[in-house]
Amino acid sequence: MTRKRFHGLKRVKIRATWNKYNLFNLSRLKAPRTNFMTYYQQKWSAKSITRAYHGEHIREGQWERMFTPLLNSVIPMDHRYLAEHDGSEQAAGRGSGLEKPMDLNKIAFGRNQVPYMHMTYAPIERRLDTAIFRALFASSVRQARQFVIHGQVKVNGKKIPYPGYLLNPGDMFQVEPDRVLFATGAPKIKVKAQAEKLRYERRISRQSNITRDAALARRAERRRAKEAKELADDTIELAPRQPKSAPIELGDPEVRKLRQKEFLKLIRQIEDRIGNKKVRRTGKRKQELRVLLRRAKANVIFIGRKSLQELDTEMKEITQELLGITEEVESADKAPVKRLKPESEMSDKQKEALKRAIARIRENPADTTKPYATPWRPRPYMSAFAFIPRYLEVNHNICSAVYLRHPVARPGLAEVPTPFPAETQQLAFNWYLRRR
Amino acid sequence: MPPPLRCTSSLPSTCVKQLCRAGQSTRSFSTTPRQDQRITRNRRQLFRWLGSQGQNFLNPLNGSTNYLGAYNAQGQLKRVVEAAAEAERKKKKEEGKANEPANSSASESGESEEAKEFKGEIPPETTRDLTPFPLNKSFVSQPVLSDDLREEIWKRVMQDGKSVRVVSAELGVEMSRVGAVVRLKEIEKEWEQTGRPLAKPYHEAVMSMLPKTPYDPTGRTNAKPHESINDLPVHRKTGTQIFHPTSESRHFTREDAAKVFDERLLPADLRVPHPELAEMHKDYKAGLSQEERQQRQMERDEIAERKRQRAEAKKAKKEAAVKKVDTGRVEFRFTEISVDAAGKDGRGFKGVGWRYGHPHMDRSRGTVKIPTSVE
Repeated sequence: MTRKRFHGLKRVKIRATWNKYNLFNLSRLKAPRTNFMTYYQQKWSAKSITRAYHGEHIREGQWERMFTPLLNSVIPMDHRYLAEHDGSEQAAGRGSGLEKPMDLNKIAFGRNQVPYMHMTYAPIERRLDTAIFRALFASSVRQARQFVIHGQVKVNGKKIPYPGYLLNPGDMFQVEPDRVLFATGAPKIKVKAQAEKLRYERRISRQSNITRDAALARRAERRRAKEAKELADDTIELAPRQPKSAPIELGDPEVRKLRQKEFLKLIRQIEDRIGNKKVRRTGKRKQELRVLLRRAKANVIFIGRKSLQELDTEMKEITQELLGITEEVESADKAPVKRLKPESEMSDKQKEALKRAIARIRENPADTTKPYATPWRPRPYMSAFAFIPRYLEVNHNICSAVYLRHPVARPGLAEVPTPFPAETQQLAFNWYLRRR
Repeated sequence: MPPPLRCTSSLPSTCVKQLCRAGQSTRSFSTTPRQDQRITRNRRQLFRWLGSQGQNFLNPLNGSTNYLGAYNAQGQLKRVVEAAAEAERKKKKEEGKANEPANSSASESGESEEAKEFKGEIPPETTRDLTPFPLNKSFVSQPVLSDDLREEIWKRVMQDGKSVRVVSAELGVEMSRVGAVVRLKEIEKEWEQTGRPLAKPYHEAVMSMLPKTPYDPTGRTNAKPHESINDLPVHRKTGTQIFHPTSESRHFTREDAAKVFDERLLPADLRVPHPELAEMHKDYKAGLSQEERQQRQMERDEIAERKRQRAEAKKAKKEAAVKKVDTGRVEFRFTEISVDAAGKDGRGFKGVGWRYGHPHMDRSRGTVKIPTSVE
């Protein structure tokens, strides 16, 4: 059986994610039409669509154990009212003619009702993974769950690897900032993948020539296969030739792992240089760089067949050669470079601006080793989902938040974020009430 | 329920639009067949939406929130459209005053254009514009504390040495939130001191997407407080409807009402988080002078302080009863226990250690091993 789509367009399920498919589905979400449905069918479908959003990763039995028909709410009190009245005025004058007759036109029905039904899924908001998602530290509940399982989350300074940990009022949870930046940042786009996507989107928009695209696809396939083959051939010649009989001393595995990491970093550096089209190089320079890249890659591939010493010398040589190749960056359009005035000629305002710009670059630098696009920027479609419910107090600077209290309903407002109308929530509530 | 209909992929389709997407796999080594992604009507609609109305959500709106509820079906900001219409109406009114016969047909056709070309500043959001889920009007993205306000809270508590209760009442922020802000700020300052990098760009981006409560240092303008600080939790016992006959002449107060619900239920005056505010207001209403009010407040503070000290002393006494041996690596804590605590049948909950015939439950199947609290 094929897996059902998580973000379907046909069988629409609203999910707790920041996905653009989800946003589209949200934008066309309508209150379900319940005429022609039996009460049972209404309840079933309401429970089905609400559960897809609220803790779809929790087993039904587990949720049924968490469900409680007791819903929390508060009534805001005015201290001036409490001071001036002792409550007896509510009963005063009943039956003695002081009471005014009820005017139906003046009563605002439902204006200040407490939306209790929206609190149906409040117990799920207590879970650690959901709270992380609500604090905007992850782009979906499932991602938040992964962060917890991978040990990136601390509760009160202690690592808690349980996504189902139920937060207590006053608990502070912290997520590793790098993970948060990854989850909420724009994705790192490889140029090739982007071009492919663009082509795909263009094709969708004009619904065009399928044969031509198939041809393009085949061509790309061939090119990629050729590249892979070339790389394999290249590295084979760089393989260490040693008789099998002479075993090499492997040394400390930890050190070996560290060396491997260093090599990978080096490879990325060389690749960055090759990818930088702003630099004009001669053909020979390009060849040299490619040779270096191949050498570094071969070292990673055959790391198990080389001694530590060999690796060290190899590392040193490659870095030296790389440093030897000096390059000048030239501007793209060959126009005279716009230079800033020397600092002595600047006005105070300009100096301030310059200082701020430098600070901004320093705290948000470009870094290709990061798994997200740098300089960091928010991921697309994030702003439509950016809200923080009142039961959390979040400090985004340190990627930490405090769970203040359990979510409550108050007149006109419910603190549990849910995309569904009250009628649907009520049907879902009744579904779970049935078994109690 | 009948099984939902799905279009079968095995049926040969003659429609060109229905053909499989013949894109190449992004992974050259993969041997699994591609999931055929059909260009369905839904998919086309998705991309059309993403290219038109959806464009609004691609990037955050500058200096404002950007929720689904703020846009109409055409993908225009509702408040901008309204402001444009309002401006148009005003303009017409002025024109009408100047010369009575106005050509209405020309201005009507130009109205929709006007909405698009409205080039004023975006008007501030109303509650309607703060709903991330258009169908759920009961959930509103409520403002968060601005950076200045957080800094001010930290300053008042840590530097001016004010109590959390006082700061909460002054700034209109819940007490638990005041505590949390201070706790988080302390960590932030520690990170800054030790040179651990803060997620500044992320913080700025998120703050630009959220509604904020600004800090007004003058405190003179009657700005809305951040949240209501005197929330009365609805007690379970008050959920029942009770028919309680009482004499007409009786002065039936909140206290009496609480007694009717439950013998031990406190009246609302004592169950709110800030009962002292009502007390202060009572003094004010009684027409006491400034000095007298201050004097009474001080007396009340003294009582509260004595209460707090007593609780602290009790806690310290309890702590002192535990004998501590610090080995450098761990701290052993020895508590006096009694063998008799296990009770006659050996199953008393205060009993410690292994008791014959009474299994420990911590290894049994089916019980949840996730900790219920940390620290």
